[in-house]
Amino acid sequence: MSWKDTAEPLLTRMPSVERPDRHVPFKRKLAWTAGVLVLYFFLTNVFLFGLERGAGSDAFGRFRSILAGGQGTIVHLGIGPIVTGSIVLQLLGGANLLGLDTQNNPRDQVLYQGLQKLLVITMVILTGVPMVFAGNFLPASESLSQTFPGGAFGVNMLMFGQVFVGGVLILYMDEVISKWGVGSGVGLFIIAGVSQRLIGGLIAIEPLPGGTIGVIPAYIRMALGDLPASAPNLFFGFQSPSGQISGILAIITTILIFVIVVYAESVRVEIPLSHARVKGARGRFPVKLIYASVLPMILVRALQQNIQFIGQLLNSQSSLPAWVGQYSDGQPISGLFYYLAPIQSRRDWMWFVDNPMGNPEVWQILLRVAVDLTFMVAGGAIFAIFWVETTDMGPEATAQQIQNSGMQIPGFRQNPGVLEKVLERYIPQVTVIGGALVGLLAVGANMLGTIGGVSGTGLLLTVSITYKLYEEIAEEQLMEMHPMMRQMFG
Amino acid sequence: MSSSDSGGLMSSAGLVRYFDAEDRNAITMDPRSVVAFGAMFGVLVLVLNAL
Repeated sequence: MSWKDTAEPLLTRMPSVERPDRHVPFKRKLAWTAGVLVLYFFLTNVFLFGLERGAGSDAFGRFRSILAGGQGTIVHLGIGPIVTGSIVLQLLGGANLLGLDTQNNPRDQVLYQGLQKLLVITMVILTGVPMVFAGNFLPASESLSQTFPGGAFGVNMLMFGQVFVGGVLILYMDEVISKWGVGSGVGLFIIAGVSQRLIGGLIAIEPLPGGTIGVIPAYIRMALGDLPASAPNLFFGFQSPSGQISGILAIITTILIFVIVVYAESVRVEIPLSHARVKGARGRFPVKLIYASVLPMILVRALQQNIQFIGQLLNSQSSLPAWVGQYSDGQPISGLFYYLAPIQSRRDWMWFVDNPMGNPEVWQILLRVAVDLTFMVAGGAIFAIFWVETTDMGPEATAQQIQNSGMQIPGFRQNPGVLEKVLERYIPQVTVIGGALVGLLAVGANMLGTIGGVSGTGLLLTVSITYKLYEEIAEEQLMEMHPMMRQMFG
Repeated sequence: MSSSDSGGLMSSAGLVRYFDAEDRNAITMDPRSVVAFGAMFGVLVLVLNAL
């Protein structure tokens, strides 16, 4: 008896959102998407009941821009649990430990969906408990603790309840959008958060949560002589008394990432196809360069974030040995956790501009950059491969899909094995190159800085998700046009 | 082009995958109730905070 039979009664009963029984008109889809988005923004503004406001540090830190949600709010966890759950699923699937055939077997599909949900809910608990009960991430309100039954522990339980409900809500909001709306909830929450920060990074007059103020007001104040304007300040950006100011370098990097991603979206290897029976019906199967690789990037980043979270947690519980990590203001400044911390901004490494004192020393900085690069490039490639395998985009699954649609590669026998051989020449290579390239881009963007302090990964994700959303909307509208065109031509 | 369509529904950029297959035992919810619950829960916490 396999694990499937044991787990089936539980996994098949996971509550899910109803699927529309007929075609949902495009306008309705947009309405659902907008509705859920409004709800999401509302929830990011509702602070937890029982929280001591203003105290506590954000456990997600700079990762907040990709993990969405809001510090200290009901949706404190953001899409973190979904991402962590997905990592576990990817690793299990990539190592082929699941034994689920999600392409052909409906029962396995149901089990996969159930397992996915169960993992996310487990992760909501696993990340929520230490957030609330350990460390100084979500401190309980002092005044409420004195009157509330159970004291501080009772208040913590209450906060955990809210964080839990928020985490589960995010999961179901994602499902509502996936089934009734356009795109996916996860993608939408990421672009919502990053876009908000980008706009804020351009026009915010008051400092944003990350401490940055907008480029445009900052430059106006520099021109008026209100803030010190020197050539390095203007180019690299600087820490002014009223907030962090992005330089011209950040603007250039942001635009460059936009251009590179949109260009790379169109880079593809096209495999010619022709229909086996219908002569003249031809098509192409595109193997896109970064088709599969931007989303796995978030998994690599989340892995780094979880490592840092463990570090912060250990640090808050006891003082760590120097080689493991020394912390100042909640940030690692030396030791293992320092080297494992990804480069988040220009100030983390540009010692020749900001850090002439030599602390941390140059070799330490270089080692950290090297570790981050290796982690992101190798991790990007590995997770891209796992991603392609578990989402049925690998050579074998693709060959079967092409075969099922009755297409073949002209000049080859119509046989899934032959198709697979040809696809094997392209898909794994393109996936690895794409994954490594995206990793390199993400680190590069972080090193040079971006507008509003959105991370390189956040920017990459936003541009490519938006592009994909645009493609999906175009396709959707084509489908809407169809019945009308049929009417026009009788 | 039809060749890239698979049987299951693949949402764009979805970390969570949903398929067409549903189990008879599964508990299903109306999407409206998800949104309504979320909104009500938010309002409840807001009211508690304001008290």
